[in-house]
Amino acid sequence: MIKLLKCEYRKTKGRYIFLTALLVTAVQIVWALYGKYTDTVLMNGWMTFLYQLPLVNAIFLPLLSIIVSSRLCDIEHKGVIFKQLSVISEKGKIFDAKFIYGVSIVIFCNIISWASTIIFGYIIGFSSDVPINLYLLYLLFTIAPTVAVYIFQHTLSMLFKNQAVTFFAGIIGTFCGLFSMFLPNIPLLRKLFIWGYYGVLQFVGMFGWTKETRMADVYFAVMDIDWLFFAILIAASVVMYIIGRILFCRKEV
Amino acid sequence: MNEIIRTTGLTKKYGENYSVRNLDMRVFENRIYGFLGPNGAGKSTTLKMLLGLASPTKGEVDIFGQRMNSKNRIEILKEVGSLIESPSYYSHLTAAENLKILASLLDVPRGNIEKVLQIVRLDKQQNKKTAAFSLGMKQRLGLASALLSFPKLLILDEPTNGLDPAGIQEMRELIKTLPRQYGMTVIVSSHLLSEIDQMAEDIGIIANGKMMYQGELNMLHEMDKNKTLEEIFLDLTGKEQSL
Repeated sequence: MIKLLKCEYRKTKGRYIFLTALLVTAVQIVWALYGKYTDTVLMNGWMTFLYQLPLVNAIFLPLLSIIVSSRLCDIEHKGVIFKQLSVISEKGKIFDAKFIYGVSIVIFCNIISWASTIIFGYIIGFSSDVPINLYLLYLLFTIAPTVAVYIFQHTLSMLFKNQAVTFFAGIIGTFCGLFSMFLPNIPLLRKLFIWGYYGVLQFVGMFGWTKETRMADVYFAVMDIDWLFFAILIAASVVMYIIGRILFCRKEV
Repeated sequence: MNEIIRTTGLTKKYGENYSVRNLDMRVFENRIYGFLGPNGAGKSTTLKMLLGLASPTKGEVDIFGQRMNSKNRIEILKEVGSLIESPSYYSHLTAAENLKILASLLDVPRGNIEKVLQIVRLDKQQNKKTAAFSLGMKQRLGLASALLSFPKLLILDEPTNGLDPAGIQEMRELIKTLPRQYGMTVIVSSHLLSEIDQMAEDIGIIANGKMMYQGELNMLHEMDKNKTLEEIFLDLTGKEQSL
């Protein structure tokens, strides 16, 4: 496995996959943090971020998964390499190695984005220390749906030669997840799509808001965490991974 | 003579269509086995089954005297080099970088890279990106990849595809030297009779997935002295295709 992982690194030389992932992350950070920081916002800064960032994640992180997985697999499909690799290594291990390499890049970008948020909060002067427990939980609830989405994209990218298929499926999924977050009246909807889990696992809510309310009356508070659906997401990820791996192993190259 | 490959009743069905039907193949050590058949006869499918890239619907494959299964496949294939259908390479990397990746996966010494590049006469272009390679150079790089571990068995599927006449001649001469110089057994598939006729010692003729003839090439020449080899080949494959 170590040999396969080293090879993954060598193969991507000159493909700027890591750099591309960092660029997407940079855009995500700028998008998430850009805004007007009034005194009220500074007072509730940490909680405001925990409320707002899952939505930004639901837009950018699936996109990051699409880009990383498809670029990693495209080099294999273009060079008809799976055929050669499959006589040297077990196909399951090829699937695993490529997944570990790709998902590591994506998780690393998640951590960069998470750390940038905290550093930004201190620089801009949020009026308290970072609630680190909540932020660690937020990191966990960011990484978990991202890994699920990455598994989906990785499987498609490994199975389909034409990466447009995986891109299209990923974009459709992203839209489904995103729109399900705008329909809180139908909570089941977002639970149906792995892309909607950035919202399902959101644990900070905004209260006191009505059409007439002004921002000053709004407050943020921690809500009950839906651990059942966290467990469902993990289980779904494991099942998707196993199915993807089996399909790839059965596929004739 | 030692049997390097033996298939028993090897069959591959896609839907209702047989791609390969009850194929019994025998390949002997240190020989060049020409696997001849018209396009779509089942040559590539057979070779893929030998490498475990396609799973047989029925039948068995024995390589180096071991029955191949999903557990021992990779272990057996450590001694097998292959070039199936088209060469595999990372176009954004150089020839040497491509071979380095394979060498580390195969656990072979780095020195082998230089050796195989010399054998296929790509040593001067080793630092050139493969995207800029001609089809012939890519084919030679494919052969270099197959030779990298100096395997006991080499499986080449239409290795002269896309080559110009000089390239075909060069590839043919190179393949002919492998059993003598490196003690390799070579299986070469082709749909061109003349190509097989000039390099193979043993021959298997396949048509519609069935083995129509298998044995020494000389014996095939002796079958009907009034007919050319081409006529014999057409007789054998034509009969099956008309069935």
